Amino acid sequence: MSGEPRPGPSRLQALRDAANRLRVRSLRATCAAGSGHPTSCCSAAEILAVLFFQAMRYQASRPAHPSNDRFVLSKGHAAPLLYAAWAEAGFLKEPELLNLRKIDCDLEGHPTPRLPFVDVATGSLGQGLGAACGMAYAGKYFDKASYRVFCLLGDGEASEGSVWEALAFGSHYRLDNLVAIVDVNRLGQSEAAPLCHDTAVHRRRWEAFGWNTYVVDGHAVEELDEALWQAAQVKGKPTAIVAKTYKGRGIPGVEDAENWHGKPMPKDKVESIIGAIQSRIQTHEVLVPQPPIEDVPQISIAGICMPSPPEYAIGDKVATRKAYGVALAKLGGANERVVALDGDTKNSTFSELFKRVHPERYIECYIAEQNMVSVALGCAARDRAVVFASTFAAFFTRAFDHIRMGAISRTNLNLCGSHCGVSIGEDGPSQMALEDIAMFRAIPGCTVFYPSDAVSAERAVCLAANTKGICFIRTSRPETPVVYPPEEKFEIGQAKVVRNSDADRVTVIGAGVTLHEALAAADELAKQGTRIRVIDPFTIKPLDAATIITSARATGGRIITVEDHYREGGLGEAVAAAVSGEPGIVLQSLAVSGVPRSGKPAELLDLFGINAKNIIAAVKSTFAN
Amino acid sequence: MEAYHKPDQQALQALKDAANRLRISSIRATTAAGSGHPTSCCSAAEIMSVLFFHTMRYKAKDPRNPSNDRFVLSKGHAAPILYAAWAEAGFLPEAELLNLRKIDSILEGHPVPKQPFTDVATGSLGQGLGAACGMAYTGKYFDKASYRVYCLLGDGELSEGSIWEAMAFAGFYKLDNLVAILDINRLGQSDPTPLQHHVEIYQKRCEAFGWHALIVDGHSVEELCKAFGQTKNQPTAIIARTLKGKGISGIEDKENWHGKPLPKNMAEHVIQEIDGKIQSKKKLSPALPEEDAPVINIRNIKMSSAPDYKLGEKMATRKAYGLALAKLGHANDRVIALDGDTKNSTFSDLFRKEHPSRFIECYIAEQNMVSIAVGCATRDRTVAFASAFATFFTRAFDQIRMAAISESNINLCGSHCGVSIGEDGPSQMGLEDLCMFRAVPNSTVFYPSDAVSAEKAVEIAANTKGVCFIRTSRPENEVIYSSNEDFQIGQAKVVVKSKDDQVTVVGAGVTLHEALAAAEQLKKEKIYIRVIDPFTIKPLDKITILENARATKGRIITVEDHYPEGGIGEAVSGALVGEPGITVTRLAVSHVPRSGKPAELLKMFGIDKDAIVQAVKVAVSKSRNAE
Repeated sequence: MSGEPRPGPSRLQALRDAANRLRVRSLRATCAAGSGHPTSCCSAAEILAVLFFQAMRYQASRPAHPSNDRFVLSKGHAAPLLYAAWAEAGFLKEPELLNLRKIDCDLEGHPTPRLPFVDVATGSLGQGLGAACGMAYAGKYFDKASYRVFCLLGDGEASEGSVWEALAFGSHYRLDNLVAIVDVNRLGQSEAAPLCHDTAVHRRRWEAFGWNTYVVDGHAVEELDEALWQAAQVKGKPTAIVAKTYKGRGIPGVEDAENWHGKPMPKDKVESIIGAIQSRIQTHEVLVPQPPIEDVPQISIAGICMPSPPEYAIGDKVATRKAYGVALAKLGGANERVVALDGDTKNSTFSELFKRVHPERYIECYIAEQNMVSVALGCAARDRAVVFASTFAAFFTRAFDHIRMGAISRTNLNLCGSHCGVSIGEDGPSQMALEDIAMFRAIPGCTVFYPSDAVSAERAVCLAANTKGICFIRTSRPETPVVYPPEEKFEIGQAKVVRNSDADRVTVIGAGVTLHEALAAADELAKQGTRIRVIDPFTIKPLDAATIITSARATGGRIITVEDHYREGGLGEAVAAAVSGEPGIVLQSLAVSGVPRSGKPAELLDLFGINAKNIIAAVKSTFAN
Repeated sequence: MEAYHKPDQQALQALKDAANRLRISSIRATTAAGSGHPTSCCSAAEIMSVLFFHTMRYKAKDPRNPSNDRFVLSKGHAAPILYAAWAEAGFLPEAELLNLRKIDSILEGHPVPKQPFTDVATGSLGQGLGAACGMAYTGKYFDKASYRVYCLLGDGELSEGSIWEAMAFAGFYKLDNLVAILDINRLGQSDPTPLQHHVEIYQKRCEAFGWHALIVDGHSVEELCKAFGQTKNQPTAIIARTLKGKGISGIEDKENWHGKPLPKNMAEHVIQEIDGKIQSKKKLSPALPEEDAPVINIRNIKMSSAPDYKLGEKMATRKAYGLALAKLGHANDRVIALDGDTKNSTFSDLFRKEHPSRFIECYIAEQNMVSIAVGCATRDRTVAFASAFATFFTRAFDQIRMAAISESNINLCGSHCGVSIGEDGPSQMGLEDLCMFRAVPNSTVFYPSDAVSAEKAVEIAANTKGVCFIRTSRPENEVIYSSNEDFQIGQAKVVVKSKDDQVTVVGAGVTLHEALAAAEQLKKEKIYIRVIDPFTIKPLDKITILENARATKGRIITVEDHYPEGGIGEAVSGALVGEPGITVTRLAVSHVPRSGKPAELLKMFGIDKDAIVQAVKVAVSKSRNAE
């Protein structure tokens, strides 16, 4: 690679010309759409031209080819420029660009994986670099392949903390196959970015975070080419290119001016602007990207099966968080593309059990949950890995935006949140997840597992590995008895009726610790001659409405839900919504209300009204009414 | 500030003794509790001793005094040493420390504001510095007072991006009244931290973010005293090299001791050993603060006049928010606004234009923006309103969750909700924000449907405790309420009503207007519907909805520009499903949307006028069939 000649004057001119063609297309498309961000495209035109037609190796006709270099447009609002580059590369048809942002066109306002050249959706700023880190990690350590990863960031988004989490990650893991380009165009949406054009400070920060850093004129194709070439020679460090640019570059009167963010050029002016830009184009040479080095291993991540059934006996006391770790370690033995991530909680979530047997497939992400989710997303891109990331369930709230974007990215990501609810006890409310079910239910296409024993936890892990979309597994801290035999079959959206008799008068639905409270309540009530039906939903989303409604009908239309979660968006509301179209069903919902506190788990279950005693009282009051 | 005076040997020894007493208290309390983080306390013992008994100025008997220096324990798991310091200062009885983590003690596992000396709850790492920045900003720019702000961070949490958002903020606003102490004890929970004891790298990072950064031996009270004595016209970071479990033989600097109390017999032995180093039992008294924080009043803030809109006038609620906030700023000079470089979209820009000195540009760092707002609102120093696109508050869900635990009274406004924003596509659409904010304990969720109610929401939020969220919309919709209409939290409005109504439709924001259009159209076909505007989604006006549903044969249709989970439909279902004879049909955005025109998207996702008309007809015919 180092022996390759640098581009001569004509090649450089061709790159300049390509950049201007990208500008013209961005202006045309946004003008046709009547919205969009042409000035944010124009600052990056030379960067994209040099990346796409000089630095990157890829098959333009097969954008998702596993050996291609990756490109992540973290500043997603510059989407028209990305589309223009793929048109220049011949993958998109030129006229299609004019359908930008239309309801029947895949060229959305921000990039989404409806387009084969988009691995991760962007548009929520500051998330691209984390995903790029995940791709680079997968390339360097899992695929051990030649492909490299490029990520274009805006300067505005450099204020997002997630960018600095990714920086720390990139240098810690010596991702020398990763290049970040910062388009320092000085202007944000509503005013100048905090560092304006102070590229020296940008450089100091990136260097302090361990990156090999260059400052270049972002409109000089030769400087960009030189820096990108240098980046490829550097070993043991990722490279950052701080590119000083001008927003709206090439647009007379608009370049470097405020109040032009997110505004297309006026229709009556656009042609003269385009004319001015086109007058600089000297050649019409079609540039062809370099082909990739095809050295990515063939892998399969479909149909992963556990080698053996769960090894638990009914009544064994096992925390579901531990069963998660045991299951994940086992799953890692079944497929070598299963990887695990954690944010320095592996001895609490039990992902360390995976690390012990598969250390080379464990990624320690330290205390940076947003970046952990982004890295997971990046690893899972192009189906290169089956990814499980774990932390305390409460700390996934930190990454809600990243998880939300994961759904828009159509990622297949598995997240396990331990330490749910007040049942964690003394550590107090900051560590208790009481909103995680609500959060994950509101993720489109998400599957929410809430296993109540070790057997179902192990089944959840295996099902999650084979399920599309985001999967969330909610695990608990306390040790609870195993309820199911090892051969019990579990399916998504299929509840288990755990207690059942013809004399049942109320259906009680619980999960995790509250299922065990419900079982204790059932035992106690049985002694008093009252039978209740107890249901374990297994997945909260999708919810097995049919089983719930059938059971409710068999128990006089009476349902009680009990959950170690806030009322809003949790099990109770999920059930309420599922039965809300059914006349004649009444529901009482027991949940945690108000901010909890430190205390012993049993004390807290009692204080917040979700233990067996409270269930018994609710059952009795239900037929008192 | 005066030049540094080196404390004499006796004073230094007293600080060392105090540090060792803090150690002993931390070990005792966690051993008594049977859980907790004594080793994380021990690394910070000298830091706490010097801060509390040499550097900080405060009234130990009045921890919330507005003129006191502030202290934020960002590494909240070191709570026992914070409690120990307040016992040493005389505020807490020594014996209370042994009730750590018990259900009837205020000394919880992590700090919470039921302790008068805790301004913000911590325990979710990486959040303390942002709050401290908010306090320092308030001290420097709003209170213009002498109090200073100290924040103790762990090295593990320095991996959190929110820390670097706060670092950038403090550097940018030159918060020279802010000191961050980095307790570099090398060890995280499950592994060494990524930078271990490479203090010089931390220094480089802090400096690059605009801080004056000093490296000290974190167990040398002398070095700490000296470092705290230095001030510059920029924030100061004291990078303290420490050992986790310092002072506990056999455990110091060892892995696998995170979050583990010492076994009882070991604790006794260790305590004796540490006690042996203590030379004097004399307690130290902190220096008193300069009492120059202004007296202020943020209660009962009233708009100077009624909303100034005409019925039928077209106005986006996001713009009405900005206009209302600017107006509110005239009613009370402690009202402040924050935004994350979206002020020309959320219209908080209108506040900035009229009150530039009370607007804080937080740039694109939503987590930090929420933390700053929380910090500004502590000790009731300001009424803070922070705005961004609704969907970008998901970035700060952890901070918002912790704000509730902090009993903060912040107000957050999220614009650009739902598919009705149009072409920008799903990354910019708030479709889970109602779910998120409803799941925040003690929150109030406003969803105004016109400019008048938006203005009322702003005024009510300013006077409401807890986290308030105001969801605003991008499209311009008609004003439907007269200026003298009265709005209350938890009080819905019946907007369309007749005695022949067959279905109750609940909508809000753009979908309320779709419901009104549907009512008009259905009227032509002699089908009458009742239309309800809930105004607040939390608390929900269950009674009004139930009464009207009963008047319309138990039939409710909800329609919302939000995902089905945790939104209006589930709130209504959750509230009413215990009631016999009520059925709820929910119209909501059922999967990831896309770019397109607002009207096209409302149609595609089945939440427009036509979808409502259709659902009403189905509901009516279904029950007819049943009859």
